Amino acid sequence: MIETKGLSKDYGDTLALDSVDLNVEQGSVYGLVGPNGAGKTTLLGVLAGLRKATSGSMSIATSSIGVLPDTPLFDQWLTAREVVDLALFLSAGVQDDTRVAEMLEQAGIADAADRAVGGFSRGMLQRLGLASSLVAGPDLVLLDEPCSALDPLGRREVLDLIARLRGDATVVFSSHILADVQEVCDTVGILRQGELIFEGPLQNLLVGKAQPRYLVRVRPPIDDLVARLQPTDWIEEVVAVDPELIRITGASLELMEAKLVPALAAAGAHVVSLAPEAPSLEDVFLEVVS
Amino acid sequence: MNLWKLEWLRLTRTKRIIGLVGVYVFFGFLGPLSARYMEQILEHFGGGVQIVVPEPIAADGITAYVSNAAQIGLLVSVGIAAGALAFDAKPQMGIFLRTRVDHVREILTPRVVVMTAAVVGAFVLGSIAALYESIVLMGSLPIGGWALGTLLGSLYLAFVVAVVAAVSARANSVLVAVMVTVGVLLALPILGIAPDIAEWLPSHLVGAIDGLVRDGSFGDYIRSIVVTVALTAASLWLAVRWSEQREL
Repeated sequence: MIETKGLSKDYGDTLALDSVDLNVEQGSVYGLVGPNGAGKTTLLGVLAGLRKATSGSMSIATSSIGVLPDTPLFDQWLTAREVVDLALFLSAGVQDDTRVAEMLEQAGIADAADRAVGGFSRGMLQRLGLASSLVAGPDLVLLDEPCSALDPLGRREVLDLIARLRGDATVVFSSHILADVQEVCDTVGILRQGELIFEGPLQNLLVGKAQPRYLVRVRPPIDDLVARLQPTDWIEEVVAVDPELIRITGASLELMEAKLVPALAAAGAHVVSLAPEAPSLEDVFLEVVS
Repeated sequence: MNLWKLEWLRLTRTKRIIGLVGVYVFFGFLGPLSARYMEQILEHFGGGVQIVVPEPIAADGITAYVSNAAQIGLLVSVGIAAGALAFDAKPQMGIFLRTRVDHVREILTPRVVVMTAAVVGAFVLGSIAALYESIVLMGSLPIGGWALGTLLGSLYLAFVVAVVAAVSARANSVLVAVMVTVGVLLALPILGIAPDIAEWLPSHLVGAIDGLVRDGSFGDYIRSIVVTVALTAASLWLAVRWSEQREL
């Protein structure tokens, strides 16, 4: 769907994108993450045709693009319905009141459909921007921080909306909220100082960075238990996280799976629960960009 | 909703059309009135000083309208046009439009056409008001000269909107677009201080209505018309070219 080769963009002395090789599969939901100034917005701008790359090549197989900037703005004297209506007409050349109403409903602003957008909060503008981006049914959707101004309920609704696009449209969205990316994206790209330092399926990233660690919840007291589980040839570290929780780091997941339960039983632990500690995207992100 | 209706709504919902027409029509009525009663006004504020003013004629009413329209009317026109044409000044608005059309011309065309029509329409209404009141207060006027002069004044305003479009394609805000455009328009009369150049400049058309209701002829404005048409086309070409090159 999207393929870039050696895509670079500079602003004078500042290199915003440094030879980015991006591959986005058709129908996927691609999460673009990175620290502030990493080049996410610039990359989305280049993909949308709003900025010109300094060098490199880009191939996008699409007939229609929907773009949502991070802080959408519209003429303040238009109503929300008129904004979405205009977006549909400009993108598809049709007028369809039913489709407009449906999109406003999905974006959660049907109640404010006939209000002038000048009085909208930032969250409502973001919902309106999303409705405008999706109303014409684009096959490529570029979203820059689509949930940044939303309350928890709005965030939930927008994430569900994005997730429902999977398969029907290709979605590339940037976000600082890594939990959102982890929740809806199947592929992740990590940008740092304009370089794409990781790209691949989310699971590869998480599994590849997974530590052989278990979290064991036990009945207190745990001090004696921690002492009895001191490092062995396969246990590297035992840490009391709180009065009822122990984190055990082992040499490998295979050894932990085979030996941890007998070791806990031998140590006299009253085990309440036990599970491998799954790394979050945030953990991995911090490790990768640091 | 399409981009033509959008521009019409911009004028009507924001009441800009009222401001625009109001300014020109106000000066259309005020100009002849002040010309007719200039002597009485000067006497009233002259502190007893005897001031002799020539007997006003109908053409003086048009002169007074043109002088106000060329200043305050022009400023209002530039401001309102820039408000529509500087659509990239807020990049998020530019993104909304640009990612939905094949070519930036599709965005620019309705804005330039509607703004030109609004500005010219307001100027013509003001000119009609000035004509009517000048005739009522001071006697007859050559209607043919007035109509041709109004047409040439309209051509100048079309040039002004084209300049606004070109400047707005580069400006980062509406205010910058207004200031740069006003700077360009003010520079023209300064160039026109040189008598050989004045008749070639678009600003020469500002006074065409005044000249043509007196003893001027169409021939006096041909060079200016040619240059104005050429510069209007060049400004519109630049507006499209610069908008295409602009990155958001």
